[in-house]
Amino acid sequence: MELKWIGAVLVMAGCGAFGFSLAAAHRREEGLLRQLLKVISFMECELQYRLTPLPQLCRNAAKLAGGPLRALLQGLARELEFQAAPDAPSCMAAALAQVPELPKSSRAVCRQLGQTLGQFDLPGQLKGLEGAEEACRRALDVLEKGRDARLRSYQTLALCAGAALTILFL
Amino acid sequence: MMCAWSELLSILPQWLRREVDALGKDSLREIRLRMNSPPELVLGGKSHWLKRRVSREDISFCVNGASRYSPWSAATAAKGYITAPGGHRIGLCGEVVCQGGAVTGLREIHSLCIRVARDHPGVAKRVEPAGSILILGAPGWGKTTLLRDLIRRCAESRPVAVIDERGELFPEGFDRGIRTDILTGCPKPQGIDMALRTMAPGWIAVDEITAREDCVALVQAVGCGVDLLATAHASGLADLRSRPVYRPLWENKVFDTVLILRKDQSFYGERVGEWN
Repeated sequence: MELKWIGAVLVMAGCGAFGFSLAAAHRREEGLLRQLLKVISFMECELQYRLTPLPQLCRNAAKLAGGPLRALLQGLARELEFQAAPDAPSCMAAALAQVPELPKSSRAVCRQLGQTLGQFDLPGQLKGLEGAEEACRRALDVLEKGRDARLRSYQTLALCAGAALTILFL
Repeated sequence: MMCAWSELLSILPQWLRREVDALGKDSLREIRLRMNSPPELVLGGKSHWLKRRVSREDISFCVNGASRYSPWSAATAAKGYITAPGGHRIGLCGEVVCQGGAVTGLREIHSLCIRVARDHPGVAKRVEPAGSILILGAPGWGKTTLLRDLIRRCAESRPVAVIDERGELFPEGFDRGIRTDILTGCPKPQGIDMALRTMAPGWIAVDEITAREDCVALVQAVGCGVDLLATAHASGLADLRSRPVYRPLWENKVFDTVLILRKDQSFYGERVGEWN
């Protein structure tokens, strides 16, 4: 009898944890996009007023970010410093390959950011960054839309599924 | 003779690096890369062609290596060149972007001319560091090399403010002399004004006077009691005098001595009395 109850608790806990982890991943993705937005606007300021070269710019920007985004920017700075590829988009692609844990939405924005880097004229470079910033904002909007309801439903559905399974098994 | 050789090699694609290193450490003057053509190495005045053709990626690698993937940060890219680490100048040729009649950048680069910067300490040892000195010569005849050594000689007696618009005169690793102050990346007229106001120089040195504004700024500086060291593109005095852009210089007797370079990079001096 005791084993049954232990099993029931484990099933409930497992399902609940799955729902809560989905919600946490969603929040993390949103947080990363917010960090990315901050990084892009930092890059715009640095370029506009200091013309900081790209490897140093990535190193400085990495200090503003955390987790996989920080790893990505540091990786990109390394790729650029070692001149591992002929152009900046290829360096970004190589850096992205080293950070598989970066979520899909942030990855797409980073890829777009990589495509814009290394322009010949400053206005063109700034325009490119504006484009990436816009894409980041759009991705963030999509995630934020109905976020609270969605997160609540992830958690509730998981708990309910756990409860249903427990009842069935009992 | 000194040359930032490893910096030069670092901006070349791997396959080209090996060949250049094997062929040209002592005599290499230029590397010319043209898309879909074999690279041309100018070794001591003679062309040497390599076999493999240059690709778009090779050109891109060189430009990005020289500018640290930031061609927009080199204000000179819109003027058609960038200065690589080590002071090597890279001339760019390709599809130009114009806005409002001004060149704002290059969309696609098809050719590069990489000029190897070398330092020859002692080339100016027979020049008397007195008064204002102008160095004349055609491209590649050694104007910048002579100016660099002259700056070091002059800096032994009085401070020299160097307005190094392109960052080519004293790249990292080159001896600067004991009283040399260098203002890098600044246009010459503004730089001359800044140096005059703030650095109390004995000499002001500028490389390659090409515009009337540069000449006007030099005339004003001489009026403030400093001596000048400068270079200009001309094969001789007659050539210089025939060009209206340099008129303020000889009308105002700005220079006391003119050093005229020959193709073999030797030179001779003329006093300004013979000039006027």
